[in-house]
Amino acid sequence: MMRRIRIALTKGRLEKSSVELFKKMGLDCTALENKGRKLILPVGDYDVVLAKAADVITYIERGACDIGIVGKDTIAESSGEFYEVLDLGIGKCRFALAAPQGSDFFAGYNVKTVATKYPAVASGYFEAKGMDVQIIKIEGSVELAPLLGLADGIVDIVETGSTLRENGLQVVEEIMPISARVIVNVASLKTRKAQIEDFLKRLEAAAGM
Amino acid sequence: MKINNKITPKGFRDYLFEESEAQTAVENRLSALFASRGYHSVVTPALEFMDVFTCPEPAIPIEQMYKLTDRNGRLLVLRPDITLPIARLAATRLQNMPRPVRLCYTEKVFKVNPGLNGRRDEVTQSGVELLGAAGKRADLEILKTAADALSVCGATEFKIEIGHAAVFKGLIAELDTDGDTVERVRRLIESKCYAALDDELDKLENQKIAGILRRLPHLFGGGEVLEEAAALCGDICGDALQYLRDIYDTLQTTSLAGRVDLDLGLVHSNTYYTGLLLRGYLFGSGVTVLSGGRYDHLLQQFGEPMPAIGFAVENDAVAELLCQQGAVDGGRIPDVLVFGEPGYEMQAVLYCTERIAQGQIAENSVFDSWAQSLEYAKQRGIPAVVRVGASIAEERI
Repeated sequence: MMRRIRIALTKGRLEKSSVELFKKMGLDCTALENKGRKLILPVGDYDVVLAKAADVITYIERGACDIGIVGKDTIAESSGEFYEVLDLGIGKCRFALAAPQGSDFFAGYNVKTVATKYPAVASGYFEAKGMDVQIIKIEGSVELAPLLGLADGIVDIVETGSTLRENGLQVVEEIMPISARVIVNVASLKTRKAQIEDFLKRLEAAAGM
Repeated sequence: MKINNKITPKGFRDYLFEESEAQTAVENRLSALFASRGYHSVVTPALEFMDVFTCPEPAIPIEQMYKLTDRNGRLLVLRPDITLPIARLAATRLQNMPRPVRLCYTEKVFKVNPGLNGRRDEVTQSGVELLGAAGKRADLEILKTAADALSVCGATEFKIEIGHAAVFKGLIAELDTDGDTVERVRRLIESKCYAALDDELDKLENQKIAGILRRLPHLFGGGEVLEEAAALCGDICGDALQYLRDIYDTLQTTSLAGRVDLDLGLVHSNTYYTGLLLRGYLFGSGVTVLSGGRYDHLLQQFGEPMPAIGFAVENDAVAELLCQQGAVDGGRIPDVLVFGEPGYEMQAVLYCTERIAQGQIAENSVFDSWAQSLEYAKQRGIPAVVRVGASIAEERI
């Protein structure tokens, strides 16, 4: 017998709004709301797992799960073969290059240093510009790097811009808009087309698109 | 310097017991199938000149190839694809063979995969190439061979998917746009990335074609997608759509009905495909296990124009599925261990061959004492130990 369709949800920021969408679809989400220690949670006819964003992509790509909900930021940073079929329009923000207020990031001939949690996005952006920069991978608060004189600018996710302002930074240029996306394993979409399309249709309707 | 003598490079691995048995099983089943259809096996070198894969334009992204140099400083690559070396071989070595030429192979291919996503850089592919044959007869043969390849590989259900390279190429030719845009659009269609595709297509001048390209990744499934495509495209790529209709309808009258789907959003990154495209999926495996297509202009690059079509099976993905299903064992435990007393060492080795001739697996004991031999047989679970001396005695364990 075929196993149930498995859905991987990103823990944290997107989790609540994803569960809201599931409820709108008429799915019974009690297992998701009272997780306990279980890792695979039954939701309607589906099995749901909660995972870190980067792991959602790995699960989908390798076929351990069929459908995933994950932010465009994580998709842009990792590479892989899967279908990105739906923009849910939730968890909206953007990637941007930011630098200290009053400074001109692009001025001068010195090689600039850029701090980021997203080295692939940052290097892709500067390569497209044909600009040599030194990229430093930072795990925690990236805004700190220019304040400490470690970097000339940062590439990071910007929601409202208030964290930037509080730290004396401003957006120099927007890189790309971000929102939650639905991704699907390549073989799953082909071998379980009817089930997956049905789920996607209902999800799309719930997202009000 | 850090010494890495106990690990394998990233993307490379060892295959132990049932993994290795599963690989061999897949290879054997496929080779037998291909041979039964009149395909002849060939072996090409693991190292080729990079030019084979990059002239006149790169068929495989250059950054995905493992490179080294020969003694004269010329660039070599570990073959990232087998179709191109076979095209080289056919064009340069087989000019005088009567056509069509049917070739098959089992080879390793090497590709640099980004990151730590669990993908292997070294995988084995078994496949066929039917060279010097154009048209429906050849395409149907390849499709049926592909379906049979999937069916001999595993007990599970499978799905074959067909598309046509001329659909995307035909639409793109109508747009007057640059190569970078085309590649971006192609990638977005390939990954069925609907939202970003919309944004990209909005920038195009020719919104009629953009509208068709927008629908392209949605057009997968049964025969109904051809009707929608025909209504959308009108005259553009009408021949390709008509041809797919013909092939699809023909297959509906056979045992393949219900196992063949269409995907007009198949847009391969290998630039050499010109006609029918095919892919195969095994239920339970999350990856594409078979892919191929028609490449009528490729041999011309090597100075010997002829039409051709072929496909390759990803043996590693199939073998992994066989292992998961427990369809292979990791080699049988020997039926008997044979110990020769001092002075009878050679007799013991000869006695092993006697038992082997009876269809058993017999292992020669390399221990110096009977007690050690018994102990070893117990550890390994070997059910019987034979003592060869002046007489022959067997003890069950």
